Amino acid sequence: MNNTVEIEGLSYNKNYKHILENVNLKIEAGKTVGLLGENGAGKTTLMRLIAGLAKGAKGSIMVAGKQAVADKKANVSFSEQLDGFSSSTRIEKIISFYEDVYPDFSTERYNQIAGFLQIDEGQRLSELSKGMKEKLVIGLTLSRDTKVYLLDEPFGGIDSMSRKKIIQSIIQWKAPDAIILVSDHYVSEIASILDEVVIIKDKTIYTKKSTEEIRSQYAEGIEQYYESIYEGNDMND
Amino acid sequence: MKFDDKIPIYYQIKNYIYRQIITGKLVPGEKIPAVRQLAVDLTVNVNTVQRALGELISEGILESRRGLGNFVTEDQAIIDQMKHRLIIQQLHEMYMNLHNLNVTDDEIVQYLRQYIEDRRKHQDEQYS
Repeated sequence: MNNTVEIEGLSYNKNYKHILENVNLKIEAGKTVGLLGENGAGKTTLMRLIAGLAKGAKGSIMVAGKQAVADKKANVSFSEQLDGFSSSTRIEKIISFYEDVYPDFSTERYNQIAGFLQIDEGQRLSELSKGMKEKLVIGLTLSRDTKVYLLDEPFGGIDSMSRKKIIQSIIQWKAPDAIILVSDHYVSEIASILDEVVIIKDKTIYTKKSTEEIRSQYAEGIEQYYESIYEGNDMND
Repeated sequence: MKFDDKIPIYYQIKNYIYRQIITGKLVPGEKIPAVRQLAVDLTVNVNTVQRALGELISEGILESRRGLGNFVTEDQAIIDQMKHRLIIQQLHEMYMNLHNLNVTDDEIVQYLRQYIEDRRKHQDEQYS
């Protein structure tokens, strides 16, 4: 079994609105994949479904060959924005929460990543800058030992040095057979670390393509390719 | 280094290593960094680095020693051939560009000679 993520005929509605329709997607073990699409295209929803956090979808989502929600939660590490913690929570409290809740959380790995990203743990959640908070989220997410890592727009509004550090930590700490799915609507800065891009458009997977194939077949940059797919779209939502 | 997103990255990594060898930043027999380290240093995908190194190994530019890593070949003939190939590639590009501007072969030789002469003069002036 070589596909770590296998989605078939997935449809999802929220408040009587179609969010995703007939999504089919297979991701092989070991791949780093960019999930691209406009704001509101359904990237976060798809990630929440893979992580087992959203319910009530039609179709099937298999992660590491299993479909039960508990198996998804055990096999998927999702970059949650720490909204469940009060803003006065100390960072060290959040880390010990992760240690308690996730048996696969490696404190040793967290310390390595935190050292590399220079995360300051003495502070409270509300005291963190946007970039520092994102580094913390990435550190926590990558410190679990799982088959799938879902990073939901990890580069929103942070400076280029932090961005580079986060990208480097993704390369450094990704296990060879783990999948990383990273969403963004701004692909150029992560293009060099992606094996494939998956583009969501019109509520479904519009295309899935190898990045090196895009470069060699069309002599196009990934950003350019992505934009050409969205061009001519009449933006009715 | 900065990659051009329109050109396959594995190809650019290969060229980067060719250049490192030709300019002496990597010397024959030297061990090159581990795949993951190279990926982090260049900010590229590990699989892409692996593909580039795989091709360099099959070209004989690198030698893989089991359990030890990848080393620059000590076979000078292979390095000379690679350098020759890169030079021809650059000349070909220049030739085609000039040819597309309707410059004749004789003119190309003439322009090139003049260009090199002018550069030399300019350098002499700088240092005198």
